[in-house]
Amino acid sequence: MSQTTLASLKGVRKRFGKIQALDGFDLAVKRGELLAVLGPNGAGKSTAISILLGLQAADEGSAELFGHHPQEIDGRRRIGVMMQEVMLPGVMRPRELLEQVASYYPTPYDVDAVIKRMSLESLALRPYGKLSGGQRRQVQFALAICGRPELLFLDEPTAGLDVQAREALWKVVRELKHEGCSIVLTTHYLEEAEALADRVAVMARGRLIAGGSVNEIRAHVTRKQVSCVTRLTADSVRAWPEVVQVEMERDRLKITTRNAEELLVRLFREDPQLSDIEVKRAGLAEAFTELTNDSAREAA
Amino acid sequence: MNTVSNMSGSRLWAAYLGEMRFEFIKSLRTPAFAVPTLLFPILFYVMFGIFFGSMRGNSGQAIYLFATYGVFGAMGPGLFGFGVSLAIEREQGLLTLKQALPQPPGAYLLARAAMAMLFVGIIALMLTLMAVFVGHVPLTFSQGIRLFAIDVLGALPFCAIGMWVGSLVSGAASPAIVNLIFLPMAFLSGLWVPMQFMPKVLIDFAPIWPSYHLAQMALGTVGAPSSGTVLGHVAVLAGVTLVFFLLAMRRMHGSGFRLLGARPKRTLAIAAAAGIAVIALSMAGVFGGKATDTASATSSTAAPESPAGVAAPQVVVLSNFDAGSAATAYGIGWGAAGDDMRGGNSSASQQLVEGGAGGSKGALEVAGAVGDAIQYPFAGSMFFPQGPPMQGLMDYSGKKTLTFQARGDGRRYMLMVISGLAVEGIPLMVDFETGPEWKEVRLDIASLGAADWKRVRAIGVGTMGPAGPFRFQIDDVRVE
Repeated sequence: MSQTTLASLKGVRKRFGKIQALDGFDLAVKRGELLAVLGPNGAGKSTAISILLGLQAADEGSAELFGHHPQEIDGRRRIGVMMQEVMLPGVMRPRELLEQVASYYPTPYDVDAVIKRMSLESLALRPYGKLSGGQRRQVQFALAICGRPELLFLDEPTAGLDVQAREALWKVVRELKHEGCSIVLTTHYLEEAEALADRVAVMARGRLIAGGSVNEIRAHVTRKQVSCVTRLTADSVRAWPEVVQVEMERDRLKITTRNAEELLVRLFREDPQLSDIEVKRAGLAEAFTELTNDSAREAA
Repeated sequence: MNTVSNMSGSRLWAAYLGEMRFEFIKSLRTPAFAVPTLLFPILFYVMFGIFFGSMRGNSGQAIYLFATYGVFGAMGPGLFGFGVSLAIEREQGLLTLKQALPQPPGAYLLARAAMAMLFVGIIALMLTLMAVFVGHVPLTFSQGIRLFAIDVLGALPFCAIGMWVGSLVSGAASPAIVNLIFLPMAFLSGLWVPMQFMPKVLIDFAPIWPSYHLAQMALGTVGAPSSGTVLGHVAVLAGVTLVFFLLAMRRMHGSGFRLLGARPKRTLAIAAAAGIAVIALSMAGVFGGKATDTASATSSTAAPESPAGVAAPQVVVLSNFDAGSAATAYGIGWGAAGDDMRGGNSSASQQLVEGGAGGSKGALEVAGAVGDAIQYPFAGSMFFPQGPPMQGLMDYSGKKTLTFQARGDGRRYMLMVISGLAVEGIPLMVDFETGPEWKEVRLDIASLGAADWKRVRAIGVGTMGPAGPFRFQIDDVRVE
């Protein structure tokens, strides 16, 4: 059951003039999963999502949404969409916008229930144009979920939100996933992917360069971070071959390394009084930087 | 996992209707749209059509401008609704979001066109109320309905033009560009100032504007002088709609917008069939003349305190020309008339000839030449029913029909009724064709509200051109 593919791209190529935005890209979204699509600007994330949503046609390869061509309405009746950079009509009220979007779906949620779930009660009757940027994002998120979608596309959903609003939105995303909704998340916030995603797809230059669970992606990465309290200075260790990067954070020395074991041996040799050691595997942010850098090196 | 993704029919309808409702609310709440489109035609009409017109004692202007401001009102909502909003929503990503969402195919366009037509309907209704109750424009119920239909359906070519503009220009530039199309086109089509007051070159070029054709249809409906045929005007307007719609669709499609859904051809075919059905039905009902019969209830609505004409005598036959004279049963008999009084060079003479209609003894023959010295030449024969020519008023409102027999050289002639309190008003003119055989011309008095039948000053039969010689005969003039 969990293996059902809801949406897929197979061998998709798309070119805009001289730029090859997608260069044989594959992606499959399974039922019930939260897939984060990561990649630097210009990696092809938006193009890939656009083709899945039927907004653009692939030059080559195939795209499917619930077994339909994405430009057919049947597949899109089962998805919800939140986009970046959309200006909704400022004179309309969130409640009206919700009613309108909900009317496109066969079995939408009750509009009042969505308002309540997103805590939009105080905004529901104010003109959309008078809302703050963060409030607008919340309304857009509500619009994305109001149709009771089986698959939800979220493009940078928390951009411009304060910490509280972001946490609240994450909570609803987790609830939706728990209820069986699949989610495709494109984000620049790696911590967002770490916090929510079951699976990560890392893109660079129109291709998938790594895919897997958050842990698998991390495992791709050999780097670890060692932090400790020591009399050694950042400058004195910077030249060591084991050290990739080093910085002093208050009283702790933080060293990024490809070989934690050898680094530790040398650290103890240089400073036997060394204390409070912590060895951490790299976060998604470090993994992501490394993966895309490697891919850039290969290409060069 | 059999989740039903099919929309029930009723939900789909609700989605289309909801889209229209939201579009209407949105437009109403956007002052930059609602104020110029709703208020300007009405405000301008009240100022220029009613008050200035009545100050100059010209009730004809109130009728003419009533028809043309309706057309002015029909232009705005389509031009701005599509031209400006489409340009802005295209840029702001709303259109893209709607395409990613399962918005039903064509709903965006349909809602916008319906909103434009609804706005035009409101404008037409308000103009009609103003015209009848403030301007005292004589208007029958049937004329009001036909004018309403012309204006509302007439919104469509301007929707198509607006859509093309909206597909091309940036949101910031769109209001200026739409105004650059809207205002000059309105002026050049004679919507603000009657065409006859314009330089000849503008009159000659007027038929290139779609609003000119709509205005001619509207003017013809209220009985003001108009040119062309209804079918010709409808053909031009339908052509304009189609051409600009296709241009706009091509442009939008090129930028990745599928406004008609995944199968645009199928959607287009359904829409075209519906459009043809609507046009056919309205042509049959609105222009076919059947609708006119029902309308006798509200005929002339002139101000009650104004002096009425002398009631027309019971006599049915006005003149049969059998006794060797052009005299009429009452009033001053038929007399040849040119346009020299107005500075023209058209001439006419009349004589009694043998061999009238239906084997009767005599008929009246009028012949001469139409000149080209003035804008609206006239040559023919006139009859003054009451008292001094053009001064006396006769009340024909109790009569049902005016009929006569006519034949001639194949030109189109017209029956002209000069009526109303003001002499210089635009007369009612009704075209008829002539041929070698006698043919009856019949006028349904009650349905022709553009004439003030309570106050008829003169009835004429003749031609307004084209320049050149003419010859026709009339016989057996009856008022029943």
